[in-house]
Amino acid sequence: MPRFSRLSALAAACLVSTSLFAADGATVGPHGEKPTPAASVTLTDAEIAKIKEGKYSAALVWHEMSEYTGAVDRGAKDEFAALGIDVVAQTDAGFDAARQQADVETVLAKKPTIILSLPVDPATAAAVYDPARKAGVKLAFVDNSPAGYEHGKDYVTIVSDDLFQMGSKAADAMATALGKKGKLGYIFHDADFYVTNQRDQAFKKTIEQDYPDMSIVAEAGMADPARAEEIAQGLLTQNPDLDGIYVAWAEPALSLLSSLKAAGNTKTKIVTLDLNEPAALDMVKGGNFAAIVADEAYNIGRTAARAAAASLIGKEAAPFLVVDSLAVTKDSVLDGWKASLNKDAPESIVEALK
Amino acid sequence: MSQPKQTATPSSAPMERPPLLKRINLQQYVVYLGFLAIFLFFAIVLRDSGFLTVRNLSNIVLQTAPATIMAIGLVFVLSAGEIDLSIGSIVAVSALAAAVTINAYGMAAGVVVGLGAGLAIGLVNGVLVAYVRLPSFLVTLATMGLFAGVARSLTDLRSIPVTDSAFTGFFGSGALLGIPSLVWWTAIAILIGHIVYRETRFGAHVLATGDNNRAASVSGISVPRIRLAVMMLSGGLAALAGLLYAGRLQAAKYTLGETDLMTVIAAVIVGGTLLNGGKGSVVGALVGSLMMGMLNNGLILMGLSVSDQMIVRGLIILAAVAVSLREKAR
Repeated sequence: MPRFSRLSALAAACLVSTSLFAADGATVGPHGEKPTPAASVTLTDAEIAKIKEGKYSAALVWHEMSEYTGAVDRGAKDEFAALGIDVVAQTDAGFDAARQQADVETVLAKKPTIILSLPVDPATAAAVYDPARKAGVKLAFVDNSPAGYEHGKDYVTIVSDDLFQMGSKAADAMATALGKKGKLGYIFHDADFYVTNQRDQAFKKTIEQDYPDMSIVAEAGMADPARAEEIAQGLLTQNPDLDGIYVAWAEPALSLLSSLKAAGNTKTKIVTLDLNEPAALDMVKGGNFAAIVADEAYNIGRTAARAAAASLIGKEAAPFLVVDSLAVTKDSVLDGWKASLNKDAPESIVEALK
Repeated sequence: MSQPKQTATPSSAPMERPPLLKRINLQQYVVYLGFLAIFLFFAIVLRDSGFLTVRNLSNIVLQTAPATIMAIGLVFVLSAGEIDLSIGSIVAVSALAAAVTINAYGMAAGVVVGLGAGLAIGLVNGVLVAYVRLPSFLVTLATMGLFAGVARSLTDLRSIPVTDSAFTGFFGSGALLGIPSLVWWTAIAILIGHIVYRETRFGAHVLATGDNNRAASVSGISVPRIRLAVMMLSGGLAALAGLLYAGRLQAAKYTLGETDLMTVIAAVIVGGTLLNGGKGSVVGALVGSLMMGMLNNGLILMGLSVSDQMIVRGLIILAAVAVSLREKAR
């Protein structure tokens, strides 16, 4: 469950910040920042040449390694390579803040000019990044920044997903799959998690605002993802005639799929978020999955790298940069995989499309 | 006291032949030779990458301080023929308990509560092992999970900042006579641990218990008391490690110590302590712990990807453990 593991990294942020939730249909940064599109970070040829002359170096200090982090990592490395910046170290803290602290100290021995990182525990991360900050290293973060750090002074930027857009695109994809009408089920993440909360609420809001002939008739909160199957089962027993069901992310959506299959239901459509091979395979084979919304994880890495490099030549980035997301369907799965993870779709999916 | 003090080679090993003796003597130094070999390798390969800077080398010592302290406790536990898998959870519970108490009642109370929590968990482990006579592997496997759960629920998964500068200085980032406090803690703990282990009756009783608990019992040693004592010692030292983590990070979180168990066991075994009791070395554990820290540090500085770091580290630990354990097979 690569994505879920990342969610827990953000849990701490939710508990210290109060201005987290999307208010008027827009993603809000962890400290209440307004979102700026990642595409706003650009470099001219002259600027790129100037960066290349600097012979800079960078270290990647990750919170853990997963498919998601791998895509961010590849994006950062590709961008740094294009800018002539040497990546001198890569670390994985295994979700341990003490290990991330040691990792920061260790990579400083290589005197990097830039550190890209996702803080394991934003609430207490100042002690982790202080040695780097004091050494004048340019810090760019994914998803969150250490509490007490000031944008522009202590760090370059935060790059994250456009969470509201993701939920909203899931609603649009559901509408497309059902011809803009029908009865919906809504399985949301019933926990205080910055990422899922914003996405779930955006789905609901978009359905309510933009699709008058569609209505959410059944809701089920999922506090413990391990119990997704029971929750899905309960929802289906009470509402056997749903046209479509939204699930907060792909892993529990697979539990729903198995419940639907057990009931012999091939009609109810599922829309969920975050790419996942079994879910995509079902979609490609014309199963219950209608669409999977994915973020541009690779682009998060590219943007963070570019923003950090730009800061070396005095170009400031906005405090909270967000990348686009895309609704992947059967027809767009190959391109979608590439756009999200910058990887070819898994063999099984390529085969099934033939 | 008629208890044999343990020597470089276990005096209790029956019918040792000279060639084997020679091999065991050499094997005594495996950890030091291994340490030196890895150090030289990194010193040469990473000569331009900052490995040899004073800053980097002192970082290794500081980063390994909590694991080293835990390793000392584990040397005693293993030497007595037991094991303590709960040390990681003790670190988290103690650090969190200390952090919460420091914020409410100040440093002294926090330290007492933190260490007390570790000793109390050690007492629970010890009573179950020594008096209820359950295997320590199973007891501490259970309490590892139990207290990991306690750590999570203690503050509802929240991390607790520690702002008391006296505490963070004393246990984390401070220095005395220009030497970082974590180095002092490590040095003092190693010195005391080494003396207790090598020079006192208690140390000899621990080894005798681990070597052959029936013989130890017959010769008048209270085996249950030794077992209880080593489990409490391990709990107390894990708690101290928790305080050091909290001091250095200026915060406590339930994840502290979670990933340390395997590192600490590897450090202790590589350092020449037998997994099934009767022989061990506190200084070896220190060198083993530094070796683990040096590996982490050097492999990162070599610019290896995370997966490659894990593979290489695993292979080196495997090689080191194989060399240091092979001779001990009977």
